[in-house]
Amino acid sequence: MFKFIKQYAEKMDHAQVYPMISLIIFFLFFLVLLVYVKKMDKTRVTELSNIPLDETDEPTITNL
Amino acid sequence: MQVEKFAYDNRIVKNFAYATMIWGAIGMLAGLWIALQLVFPALNITQYGSFGRLRPLHTNAVIFAFVGNGIFMGVYYSLQRLCKARMFSDILSNIHFWGWQLIIVAAAITLPLGLTQGAEYAELIWPIDLAITIIWVIFGWNMFGTIIKRRERHLYVAIWFYIATFVTVAVLHLVRSGELPYSWLKSYSFYAGVQDALVQWWYGHNAVAFFLTTPYLGLMYYFLPKAANRPVYSYRLSVIHFWSLIFLYIWAGPHHLLYTALPNWAQSLGVVFSFMLIFPSWGGMINGLLTLRGAWDRVRDDVILKFMVVAVTAYGMATFEGPMLSLKSVSAISHYTDWIIAHVHVGALGWNGMLTFGVLYWLMPRIFGTQLYSKKLANNHFWLATLGILFYAIPMYWAGIQQSLMWKQFTENGLLKYTFLETVTYMKPFYAMRSLGGGLYLTGTLLMLYNIYKTVKSGKLIADEPAEAAALQKDVAKHPGEHWHRWIERKPVQMLILSLVVILIGGIIELVPTFMIKSNVPTISSVKPYTPLELQGRDIYVREGCYVCHSQMIRPFRSETERYGEYSKAGEFVYDHPFQWGSKRTGPDLAREGSGNLKKTNGWHFRHFREPSSMSEGSIMPAYPFFLEQGIDTAETGAKIRAMQTLGVPYEKGYDKTANADLMQQATMIADNLKTDSIRIAPNKEVIAIIAYLQRMGTDISKPKTDN
Repeated sequence: MFKFIKQYAEKMDHAQVYPMISLIIFFLFFLVLLVYVKKMDKTRVTELSNIPLDETDEPTITNL
Repeated sequence: MQVEKFAYDNRIVKNFAYATMIWGAIGMLAGLWIALQLVFPALNITQYGSFGRLRPLHTNAVIFAFVGNGIFMGVYYSLQRLCKARMFSDILSNIHFWGWQLIIVAAAITLPLGLTQGAEYAELIWPIDLAITIIWVIFGWNMFGTIIKRRERHLYVAIWFYIATFVTVAVLHLVRSGELPYSWLKSYSFYAGVQDALVQWWYGHNAVAFFLTTPYLGLMYYFLPKAANRPVYSYRLSVIHFWSLIFLYIWAGPHHLLYTALPNWAQSLGVVFSFMLIFPSWGGMINGLLTLRGAWDRVRDDVILKFMVVAVTAYGMATFEGPMLSLKSVSAISHYTDWIIAHVHVGALGWNGMLTFGVLYWLMPRIFGTQLYSKKLANNHFWLATLGILFYAIPMYWAGIQQSLMWKQFTENGLLKYTFLETVTYMKPFYAMRSLGGGLYLTGTLLMLYNIYKTVKSGKLIADEPAEAAALQKDVAKHPGEHWHRWIERKPVQMLILSLVVILIGGIIELVPTFMIKSNVPTISSVKPYTPLELQGRDIYVREGCYVCHSQMIRPFRSETERYGEYSKAGEFVYDHPFQWGSKRTGPDLAREGSGNLKKTNGWHFRHFREPSSMSEGSIMPAYPFFLEQGIDTAETGAKIRAMQTLGVPYEKGYDKTANADLMQQATMIADNLKTDSIRIAPNKEVIAIIAYLQRMGTDISKPKTDN
């Protein structure tokens, strides 16, 4: 069960590619994210950002 | 449209709020106490109150008890309102609450008893780890139950942060808790050496990310707009903040291991992603501060906003500093010093503490249907806390940088200018000033406890706060081109899966190669498993929390190799379950304590444990006279050897049966050697085992021979 911890794969070279792979993955992920955010509908964004304030039952007690 | 009537559960919010305040004060008190121990070593009272055991108590109390309960308080309040639904199950809420408090109590009992796994922020023993798993699942079940029966179609961004927190903490906890029990209370880490280190700091840094940051960002995105009474500055920015943050954070762990024996590529990965973290973090901070646009005049009068502004500013400072500290050249100076302690306290006292206080002052009068007892006291609290942070952080920054420079200072002849002890002596006034800062902060917290107590007395808990909302309609017309947004924003399960995928990418790419690639950990044939006596000694080292103040990792700098000897190699740690590299040098590095110039006689160690200042004048190390009284637990030797064998340590088959004979033989040799130094001690005492361990350290590679 624990062998995978001690028994390394004999050959798995080019560890240097891992940072590059990860950077590319993030870059692509970020691009998709930007498109996603850009395409968000403006009225819906307003609607979404008002969710926390949109409470009819909020007690209005405050002295601060 | 049918309007449904229901009630928010405020009782559970109140319970978590009380727990936050009480554990917060206790955790801070523990912090103040251990800060004073560094100034007055005599405050290390009995073995149960020594620094090495109490420091984990402080960190665990602040992280899991104070901030943990703070998270649950905020989540249980905001989630119900954001979902327009009562919590899924009152029973689950109560199991969650009491289960979590029991875990904290168990931690508060076991840590001073020396029951620990010896991994920072993951010290708790395996039965408690199991309990945490169960309670965490109950929390998730309750949260998802609530989200699924919600009456608000969209998931507000705060809920995204809660979901990511839940799923990531679950993954982190499961991986870090990989441990093999060898008795009802004790276990060894599955991982050893470099791999254990990588798992540890992948976990450790993400405990900061997904326990101290993401849930609190969720709270910020809910409570800051509430307190300012205006929506968040940019919802789009919050979306970018969320996804970039959880994607990047998971990679950052290796920045805790720069210049160590961790493979270079993993270090570089940690640096790059840590640096990039500044962008989403500052996006979030700016989003928080700009939420106050047009309301800045209120910050002058509104103490809640003051707390929140300082919290968000501290978040900005800590997340600027973090990426800078992750740069290799900065880490070379800052690592192992009190600079890091200052950095984490800007985060803990500033970001977590101040936001928690702001939320408490906002929330408690509301759920008790009353007004805050005293605005003036709250204001005093604000100033005490803010000054406390400054008095804490500034001396620690100053001293940390200064101590590091002193460690690296050479004379004209090329010799180290200062002994380690001289740099410790230099630190004492700064440790004293830091205690003052901590004391101010704690005083502020006590003022808050009184203020909230009086507030609670003046009101009555609205246990079931009536609310009404329209039921959620099943069919919704799709806007053209909108489908894939909605797919994520309305579906909590998809959100969970996507968050999981995003955080797993980083974890897998970082962890798997380190486990799989043989060349990452070149084996050294002269490195042999510990003898049974050394293993027992090592377990005492772990029990006493020596790693809290002593590193076992010499970085490849001349200033370190001059002081401590040959720099550390990955292959030296292959039998270290758990690794003990440490992260702080309040005392010197011990990786080569038994070899080279550092080697001392058995008698020196004996006297040093009995009374450290007798051998090193001005030492602030606690005394360990009980090592001379307590016997080595030889009944466990066999189980320990068997566990190590299971983990792959190459002891001969059947060695568990004969290990104790070897142990006694080695112990007798050390006891006999001590006799020549006029010390009479029975060979079965703990001091013999820990001396054996220290004398072993660093000796394996005195004649290095690398196979690979």
